[in-house]
Amino acid sequence: MENLPLTPMDRGLLRLMQLRGAMAGGFLLAAAAVGEAFVERLVDLPFGLLLGAALLILLYLALLAPPRRYRAWGYGMDAEELQVRRGVWVRVHTVVPLDHVQHIDVSQGPLERAFGICSLVLHTAGTLHSQIVLPGLARATAERIRDEIRGRIREEPA
Amino acid sequence: MTEGADRHLHPATIALRFIKEAPQTLVALPAALAFSSRSGLSGALYLAAGLGVVLLAVKWLVWRRFRYGVGAAEIVIESGVLHRNRRSIPFDRIQDVDIERTFLARLFGLAKVRIETGAGGKDEGLLDSVSLAEAHRLREAVRARRAGTDPAAGAQAVEGPAAQILFAMDPPRLILFGLFNFSLVYIAGLFAILQTFDRFLPFDIYDPARWVGLVDEYLPARWTFGAIAAVLFVAAALGAIAGVLRTVARDYGFRLSLEGDRLRREQGLLTRKEAVISRRRVQLAQVSGGPVRGLFGWSGLSFQTLGAGTDRGGHQSAAPFATRSEIETVLAQVSPLRLPPPPELMRVSRRHILRSVAGTLVPALAAILALSYWLPFAPALLALLPLLAAAAALERRFHRYGLTEDLLFVSRGVWRRRLWLIPLGNVQSLSLSRGPIQRRLGLASLAIDTAGASMINAPRIVDLRGEAAEVLMGEITARRSVLRYGPSPGSVPTQDELVG
Repeated sequence: MENLPLTPMDRGLLRLMQLRGAMAGGFLLAAAAVGEAFVERLVDLPFGLLLGAALLILLYLALLAPPRRYRAWGYGMDAEELQVRRGVWVRVHTVVPLDHVQHIDVSQGPLERAFGICSLVLHTAGTLHSQIVLPGLARATAERIRDEIRGRIREEPA
Repeated sequence: MTEGADRHLHPATIALRFIKEAPQTLVALPAALAFSSRSGLSGALYLAAGLGVVLLAVKWLVWRRFRYGVGAAEIVIESGVLHRNRRSIPFDRIQDVDIERTFLARLFGLAKVRIETGAGGKDEGLLDSVSLAEAHRLREAVRARRAGTDPAAGAQAVEGPAAQILFAMDPPRLILFGLFNFSLVYIAGLFAILQTFDRFLPFDIYDPARWVGLVDEYLPARWTFGAIAAVLFVAAALGAIAGVLRTVARDYGFRLSLEGDRLRREQGLLTRKEAVISRRRVQLAQVSGGPVRGLFGWSGLSFQTLGAGTDRGGHQSAAPFATRSEIETVLAQVSPLRLPPPPELMRVSRRHILRSVAGTLVPALAAILALSYWLPFAPALLALLPLLAAAAALERRFHRYGLTEDLLFVSRGVWRRRLWLIPLGNVQSLSLSRGPIQRRLGLASLAIDTAGASMINAPRIVDLRGEAAEVLMGEITARRSVLRYGPSPGSVPTQDELVG
């Protein structure tokens, strides 16, 4: 294994992360708005404190965090193995020997479909990381990788 | 269609199952009724008798409708009273036939037969119960068919009956092993039993004055050092006896033998268990020990296998209490496994101690701060903090790793010492992770995933030097592919050649 040159994910993944962050932040903002209405009666908080905090979190989740998380993802593949890098807080570098892959899924949820990306899921016989997920690949790329790996899978031992 | 399924379970099975289930059904329900209604004891007895007849009839019907048979290419099992189910298990899917005999079954001369296919689902092919002779006949039938259909197993099956014993424990060894299984948990169990019968005891077990009184009666001095020592000694003795009893019940007559491409394990005093470990399905080996037994040269060996019947997180015990040379004898039969060669294994980075302390320091400080709110002397506990570093240093002393052409060794643990022997060909994936503190210190942890590994018992090398971790991960994958594909492209060995 050398450290293979890593390919970044499709830009669609970044937009998907931003959308998910915005949705989580938006939910929080709505909760803060409701809280604002009730808290006022109980304790004497300055108006807008909750809303302001929620707004900051929304900005972080939707704008600041996704690019870092997106940049942390990367993958590389050669004839014998697939390497995946991910994680901002804990950085993880995984190597999967391709001859041990049990089967491969290409999956696409509704949001992923909207951004034109899909996930490649490698199932190994291992138990700790029995699934290695590569999110955010263009459909054509995912299918090409899947077909390449399929060629490498060998008969499993009895 | 009932072709092939021409045999019933042993008729005594009906009696066996009836005895097993009778206590709940025949006692609990009528007893509840006797209490709730006014029909009293005689009514409850009639009800119990009636229920007994119904239960017996149901058991008979289930037995009547359960049929199995050995066909030309498969074992067929038909079951179900209303909803009929016919299952065929092809011979080439059968790993082996396990035989288990509980105490009750042994009284009846019966055995429970489990047909292992390695699919992981339990009760796939369960024949509960047949006569012992029939169990052996089934096993031989499966062996013979497998030898016929599977050319790879054929050569080995010829030497089949001439089993070679690899490891066995005699009674003195068993008792010694039991002493190491010292356990105080069973004293709690003893209390639970006492509590159940406490109305027959002359004193209240939860009355401390009584206990002191008892001690007073038997010991002249009150709460002297001697009295306390005596109580502790009795507790320790009870713990030791409990450990020995449990170990003898579980591992009496423990025997591991080699039969063709399988290892067969037999154990148990009242319940006799037979299990089979297919050598080709062994994923890794683990040698486990403790500081005291390690001092005397004892340790245990278990295998992690793929699929088939597993106990304790995918691990199959092969030699629970053995010397180094005995373990080597067993390992020699499961190539390429062997104990690490003399050049000692390497330790992880020295900074592991720093990282470990950094991880525990904050919670420890917080706990001391919180305590000093109530206890004025709590800040004195700060003096204990260097112990954290000492513990981390001790832990590092026992956390080692090493790599050879075909095996990776990882050892870990001070009290519970574990050494993993991992054939490189069985590595499913490798993960190098760096947390925020590790990044500051230039450290990384390597997790090695194998088939059948459990979450808590998976090999992991914690806090390697960053570069060393990268090199190690690279070497593992490189040597792995040399094993797999050979140094030059073209010669691709099969898994069987590598492992078997």
